[in-house]
Amino acid sequence: MKRKLAAAIVIAGMMVSVAACGGNDGKDSGKDAGPDSWKGQTLTVWTMDGSAPPQWSKDVQAAFEKKTGAKLKFEIQKWDGIQQKITTALSEDTPPDVLEVGNTQTPAYAATGGLADLSDVKQAIGADWTPSVSQSSVYEGKQYAAPWYFANRVVIYNKAIWAKAGIKSTPKTRDEFFKDLDTIGKKTDAEPLYLPGQNWYFLDGLIIGQGGDLVKKQGGKYVSNLADPKVTAAMELYKKYAAYSKAPKDKDEATPQQATIFAKGKTGAFIGMGWEAATAIQANKSIEKDLGYFTVPGATADKPEGVFLGGSNLAVAQNSKKQSLAKEFLKIALSDQYEGELAKLNGVIPNKTALQSNLKGNGAAEAAAPAAAAGGTTPLIPEWAAVENTPNPIKSYMTAVLNGKAPAAAAKDVEAEIDKRLAQQN
Amino acid sequence: MNRSLIGRIWPGATAVVLFVGFAFPVYWMFATALKPTGDIISENPVWFPTNVTLGHFEKAIHADHFWTLVVNSVTVTVLSVVFSLVIALFAAFALARMRFRGRRGLIVTFMLAQMAPWEVLIIAIYMIVRDNDMLDSLVPLTVFYTMMVLPLTVLTLRGYVAAVPKDLEEAAMVDGCTRTQAFVRVIFPLLAPGLMATSLFGFITAWNEFPLVLILNKDVEKQTLPLWLSQFQTAFGDDWGATMAASSLFALPILILFVFLQRKAVSGLTDGAVKG
Amino acid sequence: MSVQTQGTDTAGEPAVRKARIPGVPRGADHATGSPSRRGAAAPYLLLLPALLATVVLLGWPLVKNGMLSFQNLNPRQLIQHLTEWNGVGNYRQVLSEPEFWHVVERTVFFTAANVVLIMVLGTLIGLLLARLGKRMRLLLMVGLVLAWAMPPIAATTVYQWLFAQRFGVVNWTLDKLGWHSMADHNWLGSQFSTFSVVVLLIVWQSIPFVAINLYAATTTIPKELYEAASLDGAGARQSFTSVTLPFLRPFLYATTFLEVIWVFKAFTQIFAINQGGPDRLTETLPIYAFVEGVGNQHFGVGAAISFLTILVLLVITSYYLRMVLKQEEDEL
Repeated sequence: MKRKLAAAIVIAGMMVSVAACGGNDGKDSGKDAGPDSWKGQTLTVWTMDGSAPPQWSKDVQAAFEKKTGAKLKFEIQKWDGIQQKITTALSEDTPPDVLEVGNTQTPAYAATGGLADLSDVKQAIGADWTPSVSQSSVYEGKQYAAPWYFANRVVIYNKAIWAKAGIKSTPKTRDEFFKDLDTIGKKTDAEPLYLPGQNWYFLDGLIIGQGGDLVKKQGGKYVSNLADPKVTAAMELYKKYAAYSKAPKDKDEATPQQATIFAKGKTGAFIGMGWEAATAIQANKSIEKDLGYFTVPGATADKPEGVFLGGSNLAVAQNSKKQSLAKEFLKIALSDQYEGELAKLNGVIPNKTALQSNLKGNGAAEAAAPAAAAGGTTPLIPEWAAVENTPNPIKSYMTAVLNGKAPAAAAKDVEAEIDKRLAQQN
Repeated sequence: MNRSLIGRIWPGATAVVLFVGFAFPVYWMFATALKPTGDIISENPVWFPTNVTLGHFEKAIHADHFWTLVVNSVTVTVLSVVFSLVIALFAAFALARMRFRGRRGLIVTFMLAQMAPWEVLIIAIYMIVRDNDMLDSLVPLTVFYTMMVLPLTVLTLRGYVAAVPKDLEEAAMVDGCTRTQAFVRVIFPLLAPGLMATSLFGFITAWNEFPLVLILNKDVEKQTLPLWLSQFQTAFGDDWGATMAASSLFALPILILFVFLQRKAVSGLTDGAVKG
Repeated sequence: MSVQTQGTDTAGEPAVRKARIPGVPRGADHATGSPSRRGAAAPYLLLLPALLATVVLLGWPLVKNGMLSFQNLNPRQLIQHLTEWNGVGNYRQVLSEPEFWHVVERTVFFTAANVVLIMVLGTLIGLLLARLGKRMRLLLMVGLVLAWAMPPIAATTVYQWLFAQRFGVVNWTLDKLGWHSMADHNWLGSQFSTFSVVVLLIVWQSIPFVAINLYAATTTIPKELYEAASLDGAGARQSFTSVTLPFLRPFLYATTFLEVIWVFKAFTQIFAINQGGPDRLTETLPIYAFVEGVGNQHFGVGAAISFLTILVLLVITSYYLRMVLKQEEDEL
């Protein structure tokens, strides 16, 4: 008994010491000593699932390790719950040194003080970054992230099914597109379009196409603009598209991955990112030969539909003790050579216009390019990121409308929540 | 006559219906996992897997770091169950066998501790662990899981200890045993089924814990199986064969443990370890 | 696993009475000069590890959480390790939101509905177990243990599949039973049907605990009590109400208490099945605290909701806790 008691006390003591040890050892330890200290260090880089193709990662790693003598470790992150993960990571003493941050999220993270000022990187390599894409990473005049890549959605379609329906060419206008979808529905047993009810970035594109805005300023504060007639018009369009789909009205395009549904070969088309084609091929190799892409058509043939210009920036964590090494990584990864390679491999729009030649011959990228010029983003204000936190009220709005609720009423249901989130203090 | 026939049959019939109701979801999980995809998404359910395939299991195991996660999960679960049993046994012995001031307050304390909603405390725990430089480690997980199951373990074991006849202990002491010896030689063996039964709750809690490990351990090498299962689900939500295979793999150790331990535990219970 | 609380450990009580004789009578304490003092310290020493663990591993987070609830804590403060006190601001904000009160109300109803179903059905099945022959009892026991042993995350996933809109076996069955509108029913589309699935899941998983333990408890009822009752001319029903029920009452109280806690705290089942949706309509208090705190990164407010959540649970269980305190008092 005594021995057991002693053991128990030891265990309890361990728990106390475990919980109480450490303390706050200061942040000033390990001040970056520049290039001389690089050797033997390991730089950790977080990229999102699907962002960095394996070949690119391998090439960049080789170049980086050769140049600096340090090691490079890529860690691929899942989208699920990423905001909390980044927020907590940025608060830690040993955060990932470099991390990919969505362009719409960047202003919010810049405002938290968790990202390092990259103005010197901008000076070194960013003179010809496309201003429209670099803009999302500027906060209060400082560059808090480097633009990495951009992409917008296209229509990815199954050529075999379209041929079976007797359609000869891809649609140039929205009405033609609807007519083609009708034809597929009538002439084949395929689902004409896979569009789940909560593909909200597609809706954002439609809103941009209508010239609408998601927020408006009221008395010096941003508030929801969801009830705006332009937003309503966009939502009505979405509803019309969704009518061609049997996809669940209360799910988004990632649950399940829409490309894996498409890969089964029973879907005429879906609206997605160019690289989702790779996901489809991975799920079913034989789909590759039937893949085709076209720009989401607009009201008239000369103007494509509005698109959400999604993209990612690379940022350096303020708490990283390897600032100079991290910046060196950015200079290598974003150099013309590797930025061009990324564009080529993933079919994404690079951060410089000069590099767009890399997209030649890439069907998805060529379909995306015409719309990019008229693309837009979500409101680039720090307050915005909170609105998209799960559960995203705009997604609730979409499901409600698709289930038959009047857009105005559905908007009213969620506007209080949106306003609350926009008003959230930082 | 007719009535008595019904009277004799209905308990058995009800038992069969209930058995099907309780076992079916578990059966359906394994059955789906073993069926080829064509049989899973068929207009009429295929009730028995005839073309058995292990393809879904292969897909589930294929995930990166799968075996690391298995080792982590087993380590954390077993350690926290053992710790909580040891700590709780002392406490239970005191609460069941001894008189002292503050006893009832302590019992209520453990009842209150049992009420702690851990999921809503994770930010506080995160900040504590972070500020003590213990992130990305299995140690905080183990100690917090220990605490999650400790209160119920104390309360339950207390019942088992109380149910061991005091006379046995005294008889042993008459035979010249010290109290410690009496405990080890007489009480402890009698408690074994109770300890097993009590450990089940701990196993299921620690094995299943999810929000805490998600926020504490960002390093994949230090994560546990629930994260794998939930990520697998998100990625392959539409692939029910693979999802059910992953669920089966996740549930299997606990199912085996329950069937194994429960038999002893229930016999322990019915042998009178529980006194109503 | 059994539930033991005050009322139930009548068996332990005489033992406790005997132990009141100061120190341990024979053998153990001969060596020490002051047996009574050593005897007095023993229980505290034995309890020390458990208490230390509770104070450090539960007390500390609770205090920390309490402190956070009076702070303005959002990503900026978390990242920069800033402490910004804002008094009762978080509480004022939470309590003034109608949404919070809806969630409280919903949580109470949700808990009540589940616990009533679990206790009634669990008791009935437990009594059935006692009536069954050996083989049938084993069969039912196996079914119960299977349901009991499913880890909630796996169980929730399986229920999502059972209730899947397409190819889900539940929809197929309902359709075949003539309820054709259910053929492609989306169970997670509305508040009521999502809750139905969650309740079924929780009740399915919780009944075994109640049923098996209740059965174990009935086996310990002395036969003589029934014999005495039947001598007094009691029928089956009467002997149930006069013997079985009183005997099981303390057990039922204790189990109800535990089930209230477990259902109230249910997190995985609700969160994994539909993340509190649709439209946040199936959020109970723990989910609400999680979504507002962690999901919306409004950590201070989340801490305040956590604290209120604990408070609500205390209020709900206070009746039982008071009873326990009183009983223990009688014992002294």
